[in-house]
Amino acid sequence: MHSDPTDLIHRAQQGDRTAFEALYRAHAGRVHALCLRLTADRALAEERTQDAFVRAWERLATFRGESAFSSWLHRLTVNEVLLRRRAERRREQRVVTSDDPAALERPGGADTSSGNALDLERAVAALPAGAREVFVLHDVEGYRHEEIAELTGIAVGTSKAQLFRARRLLREALNR
Amino acid sequence: MTDPHMETKLNEYVDGTLAAHDRASVEAHLADCAACRAAVAELHSLSAAAASLPKSIEPGRDLWAGVETRIAQRATWNVQRLQWRAALAAAAAVVIALGLYRLLPPSTAPYRPAGQGWAAVQADFDRASDELSRILAAERGRLRPETVALLERNLAVIDAAIAESRAALARDPASAELRRLFAAAARQKVELLRWAARVAAS
Repeated sequence: MHSDPTDLIHRAQQGDRTAFEALYRAHAGRVHALCLRLTADRALAEERTQDAFVRAWERLATFRGESAFSSWLHRLTVNEVLLRRRAERRREQRVVTSDDPAALERPGGADTSSGNALDLERAVAALPAGAREVFVLHDVEGYRHEEIAELTGIAVGTSKAQLFRARRLLREALNR
Repeated sequence: MTDPHMETKLNEYVDGTLAAHDRASVEAHLADCAACRAAVAELHSLSAAAASLPKSIEPGRDLWAGVETRIAQRATWNVQRLQWRAALAAAAAVVIALGLYRLLPPSTAPYRPAGQGWAAVQADFDRASDELSRILAAERGRLRPETVALLERNLAVIDAAIAESRAALARDPASAELRRLFAAAARQKVELLRWAARVAAS
């Protein structure tokens, strides 16, 4: 099987599902991590990961190579997760609390994560949805407030306010 | 850091988004405020910890099978949609051809004797048309609304041709040319209905 990403993308754009599967294998962990942190719900994160790849398959023809494929896929995933959350507001209440500490443990890979990182993952998962999304996008993924505003449909000022709120809540949680 | 204004300033200081004069002002405050210095240290630490979280977390199970199934379904839908488009284009072509056929001089129009009485031909057509229309009515919910609309427009054109032919035949029952026109339109309608009912049921 070819491993050249450009060749895989080109073949997948022609409808080659084997090539698309190789792209999935290469990027599933990255997409899933993003979905897991944005949703704070393991089952929902798996659904959204699948949604993102199905959407990527449908929109593959629009990828022109101006950005890295991973960046394109990443942005598409954020869009997919946020779009579906808006459509399913009731799920907003499904935050993980300390009653369910296993939810954010890394399946099969918890031993490589430090205790502090795991504490942080859990604390992030327990944030209110709006604050969590902005924190994940800004502090974990490195998006700017202007990009977050565009992706989420909130104002730049609101994005900043949510970020600062998230940091305050996280500091309180981690200092307990 | 309970003052919301100071909280914003310190966060922006840590993010490096403060204007120069605001930055200088915050640094002057930090020199005198141990609590805010501690808050800034925590914010730096938190941001660094967040940025260093693992970027990849493999799902607990292989999700590819689900992705592949959905992709395959989409592909099937796309094929069906293309089939519909192609078939409707063909139906539209039939309507156009019918219109052209009606303009042909009698000597060039093909004519195959039905081999049975004219009343029986019309009765057969009516029966087939009714039966297929019932099948299609039962299955039309499975078709896309725009497809149904297009189908109905094409059927309306054919029905108009049939009605015109019948009206003309009522005035001139012996005309072989009018019978050919009626038979051609009737055949097209039955073929279109048969095809639509088959696709809707598939």
